[in-house]
Amino acid sequence: MTLEPLIDGFRLFFDVSTLLAIAFGTLVGLLIGVLPGLGPLMGIILLLPLAYHMEPVAGMGLLVSIFVAGSCGGAITAIMVRIPGTPLAAATLLDGYPMMKRGLAKEAIGTAVAASALGGIIGGLILIFLAPLLADIAIDFAPPEYFALTLTGLLTIAVVSREATVKGLMTGTLGLVLSTIGYDEFANVSRFAFGIDGLLGGINLVAMVVGIFAISEIIDQIRHGDLSAKPDVSVVRPSFSSAISTMRHWRNLVRSSVIGTGLGALPGIGGGISAFSAYAIAKSASKRPEEFGTGIADGVVATESANNATVGGTLIPTLALGIPGDASSAVLMGALILLGFFPGPGLFEKHQDIVGGIFWAYMAANVMMFFVGILLTPLFVACIKLQKRYLLPLIMVLCVMGVYSLESSVFDLWVMLVFGLVGYALRRFDYPLPPLVIGLVLGPVCEGNFRRSLIISGGHYDIFFSRPIATTIIVVNILLVLWMLIPKSLKQRVFRRLGSAASEA
Amino acid sequence: MKITACLKAAGLTAVVGLLAVSQGYAQFPERKVQVMYPWAPGTPTYGVSQLIAEGMAKELGQAVPVVAKPGSGGVKAFKAFLNSPADGYTIADGYVAPLVLAPMFGNADWGCDDFIPLYSATSNSFAIATRPNDDRWSDFKSFIGYLKDHPGETRYNGNELTLPHMVAAKVLKQLDIVSRPVPYPDLALGMKDLRNGTLDWLIVNPGMYRANKDHLKILATLSNQKAVQEVYDGAPTPKDVGVDLGISGLTASGWDWWLVHKDTPEDRLDKLRGAMQAALKDKDVRDGIAKAGFVPTNYSPDEYSKVCNSVSDELKSAKDAVEWEKKKVRALSQ
Repeated sequence: MTLEPLIDGFRLFFDVSTLLAIAFGTLVGLLIGVLPGLGPLMGIILLLPLAYHMEPVAGMGLLVSIFVAGSCGGAITAIMVRIPGTPLAAATLLDGYPMMKRGLAKEAIGTAVAASALGGIIGGLILIFLAPLLADIAIDFAPPEYFALTLTGLLTIAVVSREATVKGLMTGTLGLVLSTIGYDEFANVSRFAFGIDGLLGGINLVAMVVGIFAISEIIDQIRHGDLSAKPDVSVVRPSFSSAISTMRHWRNLVRSSVIGTGLGALPGIGGGISAFSAYAIAKSASKRPEEFGTGIADGVVATESANNATVGGTLIPTLALGIPGDASSAVLMGALILLGFFPGPGLFEKHQDIVGGIFWAYMAANVMMFFVGILLTPLFVACIKLQKRYLLPLIMVLCVMGVYSLESSVFDLWVMLVFGLVGYALRRFDYPLPPLVIGLVLGPVCEGNFRRSLIISGGHYDIFFSRPIATTIIVVNILLVLWMLIPKSLKQRVFRRLGSAASEA
Repeated sequence: MKITACLKAAGLTAVVGLLAVSQGYAQFPERKVQVMYPWAPGTPTYGVSQLIAEGMAKELGQAVPVVAKPGSGGVKAFKAFLNSPADGYTIADGYVAPLVLAPMFGNADWGCDDFIPLYSATSNSFAIATRPNDDRWSDFKSFIGYLKDHPGETRYNGNELTLPHMVAAKVLKQLDIVSRPVPYPDLALGMKDLRNGTLDWLIVNPGMYRANKDHLKILATLSNQKAVQEVYDGAPTPKDVGVDLGISGLTASGWDWWLVHKDTPEDRLDKLRGAMQAALKDKDVRDGIAKAGFVPTNYSPDEYSKVCNSVSDELKSAKDAVEWEKKKVRALSQ
């Protein structure tokens, strides 16, 4: 890409109203991300009417900054109280909360905010310089490739389940089964809704995630008693130097950001799964994989840089093709259309200034998010330092408000409560919870693309093995499964032999 | 004792009476008026509904939020609407799918005449599109010829009993040609697969056309209306190419009427109608609708029953066309 859009767009971006809109959007995004149940999508929708009445770049800057900061805010709650503020932050629980438990809350939040900002910026650079190229690659992904990719995503269940692989696969399968509830667009029938209106559209993912993590945590805390005790949270004042300490993990940071951007560029994949995938790959590539899940910064860097880089990734097909990368970017695309600009190749040719302005706004939102996140963290932590008997009802009220606001649905509140109990039962028997989310998120994408592929091929399974990209991904998946089946001792012996052979050579 | 009891009763009666009087004189609306929207939020369709709602809010002096309740082809939102009281505080954004199609498929037990219209809102007309560089055909006639010569060898986006697919199946049946429908949850994914060669042609709406103008060639609109032709930059209408597609009026488009409960008090109905009429005349609202590629339908409440029921009749034959298509595709696969 030439630098012309950036030069033309700078004039539209460097304007008081645009900068204020970005700052305001960043603040709203962080708050909305921190609150359980509300996520960037809800934040964007809430401020959509305001954006329609603004100048195009200011309006898009407001919405993009909510998207960026909302994708990070959830990590703060995940780290501090083991409740992901948004489904995107579910993977950050894996190492973020154990870090807090180890007395490293300051480091964990600082790392999460810095990794989010840096991951977002890397995703932004890829967006700015490679958008049309990556969009062309993304367009070659047809249903068989999507199906193969979702299998890779499902394999991450085995990695994030740590030592409880079988239990992880069981909860992952439960997620897959639950994802079949709702309307089957292929057969035009409702599946497993049992005549319940609230299940016609399937289980609401946010209600389920809030229930499974937040409500089960509340029940768990109550069961432990001692409600007058303040949570064991030290005063947390992350410093701006966390950006430097995060950059020490540069290899992981860049790799996870590239994974996030790449998966984000594929319409329909989304941030949640990119965070889990980046985590799984970071763990596999680490020299000390056994430390993942015990509270190490590498785990937080992987998940947070990936889910914020995904924001840049989703904007690639949205702006360059007019095909939204996920639900939040679909709303951004709708806003852009209502502001009078149709995304797609034409936008890059005819309205370079608008494209450039949005790029600047995206980058500025990431920078502002870093500063706002670091400055506001002590405030968030002060709320969490309340006695449990005040804190737990407060979290409960926020969960109820967040989930109810999604669709003004009382049924979703029941879903949240039921999954709270399910989550609690799973915890009691040491079943890992993240695989349930992976199963539920990937289930519809996996099933839909499998069935669509077979319709395209007329029922012939060779469609998965006759296309180079799909075949490659499937072969890699098979190799990954085989690798997992090899006993650990054998793997260590192979590595030792390879190491000694290399040193002899 | 008796006097005290009498005084208490009198006091209570006075309070109840005052409350009743104040209720009677209270200006409608006293609080927000919700619009139940049957699809996912944030799309251009949602934005257009928000524009109209904002226009109404200006007139009513109260907020008019558009609440998205996606699920089950719009039935979920309609059920939520029907479960709300008939007090004018809940409006249904009545799209053709939940209003006409859902009862037709046995997924709902209501009909057009179970609701009272405020006004018709907009329409979003479909067209047949292909890749601009596809050399198998050059125009709609040669496209039909190719599909006739190659039955079942081409693919397009078609989701079971959704409106665009039903319209497409009706057109295909009318022309006696067979192409394989591939279901997509989102038109955008179908667009992607047209561009990568998985699909051969596409049923598009104006929003998708405008976003991908350079990668689409409109072979024909599915409506003979001038306004629709303008939305698709002068693409030929079925009439222009001398083809009878067997559909008319609003059948080949997504459309919505804003509806309220049948038992809504008359004064509240008038107030809501007045507000919607004013909103639809508002220049900003009209400009916003045009920007998104939608066409205001401009039907008055009196025309609702006729328009809704005639579309319903035409779509019944479109439903049969989907069955016809299934049999043909199955026969070709054997």
